[in-house]
Amino acid sequence: MKLVKFKSMFFLFIATLLLLAGCSSSSGKDSDTSTDGKVKLRFATWDVGDDVDLQQKMIDKFNEAHENIEVVLEAYGSDYDTKITAGMGAKDAPDIMYMWNYPQYKDALEPLDSYIEKEGADYKDNFYEALWNYNSADGKILGLPVGYTTHVVYYNKALFDQAGVEYPKAGWTWEDLQDAARKLTNKETKVSGFAFSGKPDPYDFEMFLWGNNASYVDKDGNLKGNLDSKESVEVFEMFQNMEKEGIAITTEGSGSTEMKSGKVAMFVYGAWGLTPLKEAGIDYGVVELPSFKNGKSVSILSSSGVSISENSKHKEEAFEFIKFWSNEEANKERIGFELPVLKSVVESEQLEQDEIKSVFYSMLEKSEGYTPASFIVKDWSRVSDNLNYVFESIFNPSTLMDPKEALKNAAE
Amino acid sequence: MKIPKKYKIILYGLLGLFSLYFLLPFVWVILAALKTEAEVFSFPPKIFPDVPQWKNFVDAWNSQPFGTYLKNSVIVTVMTTLGQLISCSLVAYGFARYDFKYKNILFVILLATMMIPWDVTMIPLYMEFNMLGWINTLKPLVVPAFFGSAYYIFLLRQFLMSVPKDLENAARIDGANEFQIFFKIFLPIMKAPLILIAVLNILSVWNDYLGPLIYLQDQSKYTLALGLAAFKGIHDLQILPIMSITLVMIIPPVVIFLFAQKYIVEGISGSIK
Amino acid sequence: MLSKSRKANGYQLVNKKVPYLFILPWIIGFLVFTLGPLIFSLIMSFFDWPITSSPTFVGIENYKTMFTNDPQFYKSLEITLKFAAVFVPLNLVIALILALLITQPLKGIKMFRTIFYLPAVVSGVAISIIWGWIFNSEYGILNYILSLIGIEGPQWLVDPKWAILTIVIASAWGVGTMMLIFYTDIKGIPQELYEAAAIDGAGLFRQFFSITIPCITPTILFNVITSVIAALQQLALVLLLTGGGPLKSTYFYGLYVYNNAFKHHELGYASANAWLMFIVILILTMVIFKSSSTWVFYENEVKRKGKKKK
Repeated sequence: MKLVKFKSMFFLFIATLLLLAGCSSSSGKDSDTSTDGKVKLRFATWDVGDDVDLQQKMIDKFNEAHENIEVVLEAYGSDYDTKITAGMGAKDAPDIMYMWNYPQYKDALEPLDSYIEKEGADYKDNFYEALWNYNSADGKILGLPVGYTTHVVYYNKALFDQAGVEYPKAGWTWEDLQDAARKLTNKETKVSGFAFSGKPDPYDFEMFLWGNNASYVDKDGNLKGNLDSKESVEVFEMFQNMEKEGIAITTEGSGSTEMKSGKVAMFVYGAWGLTPLKEAGIDYGVVELPSFKNGKSVSILSSSGVSISENSKHKEEAFEFIKFWSNEEANKERIGFELPVLKSVVESEQLEQDEIKSVFYSMLEKSEGYTPASFIVKDWSRVSDNLNYVFESIFNPSTLMDPKEALKNAAE
Repeated sequence: MKIPKKYKIILYGLLGLFSLYFLLPFVWVILAALKTEAEVFSFPPKIFPDVPQWKNFVDAWNSQPFGTYLKNSVIVTVMTTLGQLISCSLVAYGFARYDFKYKNILFVILLATMMIPWDVTMIPLYMEFNMLGWINTLKPLVVPAFFGSAYYIFLLRQFLMSVPKDLENAARIDGANEFQIFFKIFLPIMKAPLILIAVLNILSVWNDYLGPLIYLQDQSKYTLALGLAAFKGIHDLQILPIMSITLVMIIPPVVIFLFAQKYIVEGISGSIK
Repeated sequence: MLSKSRKANGYQLVNKKVPYLFILPWIIGFLVFTLGPLIFSLIMSFFDWPITSSPTFVGIENYKTMFTNDPQFYKSLEITLKFAAVFVPLNLVIALILALLITQPLKGIKMFRTIFYLPAVVSGVAISIIWGWIFNSEYGILNYILSLIGIEGPQWLVDPKWAILTIVIASAWGVGTMMLIFYTDIKGIPQELYEAAAIDGAGLFRQFFSITIPCITPTILFNVITSVIAALQQLALVLLLTGGGPLKSTYFYGLYVYNNAFKHHELGYASANAWLMFIVILILTMVIFKSSSTWVFYENEVKRKGKKKK
């Protein structure tokens, strides 16, 4: 008898649980259409803070103008990749995604060439040409460009003034940079003339090789004869020598934290630094990258675009949205956060005259026609990992490997 | 129990030393949350802000729908704690106080579930929740708790194992059924460890952020931990909001801990006699 | 022998099904939420699955690569085991010392108890940022403080020699949970045991080793096993604080698996990695558990001994 009572209690408990589970699955969400018959599109962004607020406002505008579509923003910040990777693995990726690492995600993205063709040639031509390469993989366009940045040198004006050094100007060389760094470095006040990452992202670092007429790989993806070429070794030696001489420090991250301390005079960074450095109270200027003695001043592009998931059930509507997301109005709205990618906007907003932003555009023009190794090498994320390790062993103060040898080994 | 004076000095010395280690980083967080961005990053480090920036807290709170996040966090935390307490007390009791066939192998399996690497089961689990239609709801975060977690079951079992066997046998001879023994005798005994489990669960669920990251989608479903992480972008962190929200977020678990202390102090066998 | 006497003591009164009813919730949860994904990941370890496209069957290729063609596998395994060997005992001892400290009847002990517990409450995101600040070699707080007293601090997160120590220091910060578990158990030890021992003339240290420790062996076992698991799967801190560096000196196994899955998109390979670690942990746990019969005392054995003395 008593046992029966006990049992029944138990089954009641279990039954409640199952009911709970059952209910929820029947009332489960329908990811295709929301309750009012609209097409629901999920849109994932990696941006944070004010950026997201602005994006939400723009989405609201889009939703108002489109009776049949409802776009929902999902902001994942620094864990963006984990989240969308999980989504792709479970075949539940967002319909629309911010994207930059196209080679890595290409199989899960919808090729957009046919969509773009329908918009006419003028549509495509209004974007800066260099950007299309960065938003493609295997010869297919996989995203519409939304923003980009080239890399420039940020310099701390206060430190230059204190040391009585002239601000750098476009057309300067790495030797000029080293001279300036020498004068700016002050052991007593802990000022460092220049800072660069002690474990640079190989994707970013390749621009220095380009500047010295080298690259990681040739067009067939061979490291040998390229990564370990004389020109390439020179670049690494130059950076390592600055560190050995004590006129540059290596940083643990990108260097922006160190720059914010107000004790670093110069470092190389993208447009990401513009607002944060201002908020940290640094009075800075920006200038084009220095050029190499026998070379040029070239920057890699870090570009972002918006892509459509291959598994999306509403690709037409999604394209409608990403077209909106990269149109002139949107470019203008985003101007405080992102460098416009449309020539017409750059012109109408007179960005070529903007003291700071013009630097990024002139870098962009100088940097056309280079293809990063990540687009050539098949297994880039592995190769990049290995390169990263080799670079770190060249710049880490506890190893300071000889670049020539380290690169030779790496190329093999 | 009296403590000799020379021991007291040593004890306070140790307490002070450990407090430094635990407290200093913390003090730094509080101070940082009250600074301006420039003051946070300045070098040599500035200890105190010129003017305490209390508005950092307000700005941070208002920059995202933290009211909603708070509500979601509370729901998830309360529900999971409830679920864990119910199911873990039953399961741990079963493992600790009975002998049955396959007990050892089942217990090994239970332990093994603690060792499953999260990375590789996450995607299949995602698929399962997706089939159930649970993605973008709080269910994936809440429902599994009602089936117990190995960590708490194991912990509770360890406590229950040290309760003398005579206890339930006496009750059985008096004619109590198993259900009554569990409720009338063992639940009161388990008070301290159950409170402990509640405290631990609140703590881990409150701060859990991988679960919410993977299973939730739009902001209206986010939890506090996810909101906090959303201040961290790929290229830059918003340091002031992170510090202030961190401080706000620790208040509930700490308050709960202060209340729980009283019960934990009683210990497990305190109530046996 | 023990189980025989147990049976004689009343187990025969219990319906055979009752125990299963008690553990039923967990069994259901296991079947519904754990078993499926577990089997799925085991199957996946025999596939090549680049996440963005479909899996292809490769047999034991993943395991073969792992053992014969991936030096990082061994390195990560070695680093992780070394870390666990240092971290687990250290953490246990610290937690135990803290738990003992906060049981002392001293003034203001409640405050210290809260202070020690505080760090465990801070979310992982903030922890990594705080430690990153403190340990930054050029402009970090710790080295600044050291420089004030004339010491040139090491390059904590840059020098591979120091990086592991940095991780140990940073992870020991969250020892509060384990401390609390010990504390709850110590609080449950009947006071009369100590009184009896004191009458017998046992000093504080004798009391600690002959009463406290034996009484809490069940929770020691719990903490040993769970911290071995935690140490071998350590991911969050290295992911956020060091990213595996400098020079891969903190490239723990957990990070290795995570990167294989989410950075390199090789989910099949990552599953193989994960299963290997699963088996390693399982064996370790079994060994610890087997050994526990010699040093863990359940069922008030010690407490009874104490009472007899009385």
